[in-house]
Amino acid sequence: MRKLELDPRTKLFMIFAMSMIVMVPAFSTLQMAIRIIVTVIPILLMMLEGKYAAAIRFAVLYAAALILQHYYLSVESRGVFSALITGYCSIVVQFMPAMITAWYAIRTTKIGDFMSAMQKMHIPDGVSISLAVVMRFFPTIKEEYENINDAMRMRGIAMGGGKVTKMIEYRLIPVMFSCVNIGDELSAAAVTRGLGAPIKRTSARELKLRAVDYATMAVFAVSTVLFMAAKNIG
Amino acid sequence: MININNVNFHYKGSKEAGLHDFSLDIKPGEAVLLCGASGCGKTTILRLINGLIPHYYKGELEGSINVNGKDVPNSELYDLASVVGTVFQNPRSQFFSVDTDGEITFGNENLGIEPKEIIRRKDEVVNELELGPLLGKSLFELSGGEKQKIACAGVSALMPEIMLLDEPSSNLDWKAIDELKEVIKYWKSKGKTIVISEHRLWYVKDIVDRVIFMKEGRIEHEWNSEEFDSLTTQDLSELGLRPTSVEEKYIKEFGQGIFSEDEDSDNSIKRYENGVTLKDMYFTYDMPKYFFRKKKLNAADSAQYTLAIPELELPRGKVIGLIGKNGAGKTTFLRCICGLEKDCTLKITSDGETVTGKKIVKKCYMVMQDVNHQLFTDSVRAEVMLSMDEEDKAKADKIISDLGLYGYEDTHPMALSGGQKQRVAIASALAANSEILLFDEPTSGLDRAHMMAVAEMLTGLAKDNRVIIVSTHDPELISLCCDYTLCIEKGRLKYLRECQ
Repeated sequence: MRKLELDPRTKLFMIFAMSMIVMVPAFSTLQMAIRIIVTVIPILLMMLEGKYAAAIRFAVLYAAALILQHYYLSVESRGVFSALITGYCSIVVQFMPAMITAWYAIRTTKIGDFMSAMQKMHIPDGVSISLAVVMRFFPTIKEEYENINDAMRMRGIAMGGGKVTKMIEYRLIPVMFSCVNIGDELSAAAVTRGLGAPIKRTSARELKLRAVDYATMAVFAVSTVLFMAAKNIG
Repeated sequence: MININNVNFHYKGSKEAGLHDFSLDIKPGEAVLLCGASGCGKTTILRLINGLIPHYYKGELEGSINVNGKDVPNSELYDLASVVGTVFQNPRSQFFSVDTDGEITFGNENLGIEPKEIIRRKDEVVNELELGPLLGKSLFELSGGEKQKIACAGVSALMPEIMLLDEPSSNLDWKAIDELKEVIKYWKSKGKTIVISEHRLWYVKDIVDRVIFMKEGRIEHEWNSEEFDSLTTQDLSELGLRPTSVEEKYIKEFGQGIFSEDEDSDNSIKRYENGVTLKDMYFTYDMPKYFFRKKKLNAADSAQYTLAIPELELPRGKVIGLIGKNGAGKTTFLRCICGLEKDCTLKITSDGETVTGKKIVKKCYMVMQDVNHQLFTDSVRAEVMLSMDEEDKAKADKIISDLGLYGYEDTHPMALSGGQKQRVAIASALAANSEILLFDEPTSGLDRAHMMAVAEMLTGLAKDNRVIIVSTHDPELISLCCDYTLCIEKGRLKYLRECQ
């Protein structure tokens, strides 16, 4: 099967619309319905990336959270237990869908494509380069963090000797040191290859919005408008 | 082509080596090797040529630098980008993209070259450097050698006349070094001017036309290729240089031996007096995860495992060199021994006592290739005491001074040199009473003097009846300090034998 390739602009729009729909409070049944329908999309996206297990796990969690929220929680809920449940439900229902969409966007977007999409939207180079560096850094931070975590386990200090502050300090300081070093070397390497030239950047791959992009954007645009309208009417 | 005239340079606010009244002329098409101890100013020269000095690294600069008709201090970096290309030491920090294709085209896109021309150049480079199989991949999935090849391609795609390489082999294994050598040869055949700074001399020896030996920011010696060829290992070691040739037996061991399938395979278990036994070392990265409960790894299924060593006995008090090509499972082997892979079924027996699972972590300690990852506190003493079950200042100070770090007890570990950091990591392993010490590539990117220091330290550590395993690609290190070599092939033991 050919992989679904969306334009970076579509993905940005998707994140934006998704966040709006899941984070703005929903009151009416129509709003809830829209919310549930759009949440199916990141689940499908995860499956497209081959993360079946994670997708199913999320779907189950999401369903559980919805059911709990709907049948067992109300404004009158009191006590520590319901507070915990409320916390869990709102994280899963309100944040996870947007997070998964963002994860999908970052994972599937090449930095070159991202830069040319930003350029097509007439975003200044300074902004798009900074954002591109952030994207480039996610996997690096992950790698460094894993190495440091290993080193801590070898020393038997993964739990920081029971102190939360130490646990964070021991992880954060080496991660920061190595990211600063890598960042410095990285920018030296990039400027020797012409990054920052006051010339209009070009792109090896021309980006074009295709039917699937327009369709995706339309789905999200309609959902967002309906969602907002429902709020104002109802 | 390159003209450096009476240059004096000091880095701003840093003790890093500068240059003193330095002059150098390089003709078009010439290949020049810069060698000398760490900190002699090799990298500084490359930075002068590619313009990172004075445009990126600030300092006081006098004298003139002219590259292909451009006055470097008065040119912009992006103007130099199409004239000078630089391959850096560390493959992980010279990438801007996360995918291989994007990385090759990155430079040209920055300079606003027409998309059609970018594609043409990319295809040409891919063709010439035989990169087809690497296209369309994430850079984070590639091995060090593959990353370095992509780095070469990214530089090559800009079609510069001058190629600079700053210790490009530091993180590479033999096979990757061979491929790098082919790339450099190819550039040379195309008439590019090449300047290489390197500690490993054996692989560049046949490529370069001129060798420049530097010391403290000055040129100390200059040889043409024949003169350089006639220098003996003795002459070189007096200058603090690594040898230009590798002994025959190591060529066999590293070059072909580990790349041939079944030669000299010998996995019989030898017994050693008071040895440490590793048993049931099974591990795989493809465990059925998610819904099913994990199946315990066992000998019966071991044919498909990433690592499968039923039994192995390691001698104490000796330094064991761990060799094998990249991807053979050396790192997995080390990770399993120090208990980082929870699913590994390893049992370690020493002095009649057998440990498994979490307790293995207490017995073993690995000094990682990037030692910065394992220093956590704000002073050397605190670092050592962190490893102790009960803090004992006197003992900590003794360990510190035994390792030659006396006077640095209160220094921040990050303020130390690379070699000193390595010793701090060792000090914390000693403080934790680890019996088995593992070293992952401790000499990558080191000059001869530092390599000797590491070798001496390893021998010293072994004397206290510890098991020392050193994973390495440096035959020089093996000949300096290893008593045994342990070879791993496809996650299986190939042999463990005494060095002749």
